[in-house]
Amino acid sequence: MDKLDEQRRTILKGAISASTLALVATSGLLLPQRLLAHWPTDAFNAKTVENALLALLGQTEVAEDEAIQFKVGAPPSYAINGASVPIEIQSELDNIEQVLVLVEKNPFPLVMSMDLTPEVKLPFKSMIKIAEDSPVMAVISAGGKLYKTTRFVEVDIGGCA
Amino acid sequence: MGIPSKDRIRAKLKANNTVIRILLAHPMHTGRAETESGELIPAEFIQDIRCWRNDVEVFTVKCGTATARNPYFSFQLTSGQQGDKIKIRWVDNLGAKGLVETIVK
Repeated sequence: MDKLDEQRRTILKGAISASTLALVATSGLLLPQRLLAHWPTDAFNAKTVENALLALLGQTEVAEDEAIQFKVGAPPSYAINGASVPIEIQSELDNIEQVLVLVEKNPFPLVMSMDLTPEVKLPFKSMIKIAEDSPVMAVISAGGKLYKTTRFVEVDIGGCA
Repeated sequence: MGIPSKDRIRAKLKANNTVIRILLAHPMHTGRAETESGELIPAEFIQDIRCWRNDVEVFTVKCGTATARNPYFSFQLTSGQQGDKIKIRWVDNLGAKGLVETIVK
């Protein structure tokens, strides 16, 4: 009788820990993607520019504005290799809170999103991938308003393969 | 184009602003590319880069898959002085982390 009881205990214990593990695994706590809870998955997985803006900023009303100096490619608006296209963003706007870069025809348009503190000063330079000839947008959120500058870029070899 | 073996960072004082340049060593796989034998290379890309100056967080970049391989960033911080400590941390989608530090010259 005692022996049976003990067996039952181990089986029960085993069952409980197994089910807990299964729960944890299915809840996604072990998935590395969840390590960055603040990474805006919806925005980066959005398939259109509008959806990306909506997911990230909650609005799509963007004023076309030349207050942003935006350079893509070298020479400007042209890139031989879409796998690394230089970009440069400069602006005289005050209170810039956020800067986004979007490539309209990429599988996922949102390339990067920068959160700026008042201590940061533009110009910002980086390299991005561009899949095919496409408009590239820089969106700046400053003082509660959104500003956008678009450049059309020609790419010889697509870079998102 | 060789892949740099480690993350690099330069911070320099220029006209009273601190100019920071970062070059991270990372393959930035999008998850759509294939190897020569036709297998998909799983996604592996930096998601989050943060910058501290003297332990104050000043700048955050969130990246999608469309950031180029071996990501390069350059930006400026207002004022600053020689000897300021600049620290960069990055995290990718698989949980790998990196830390680079430098002192403003």
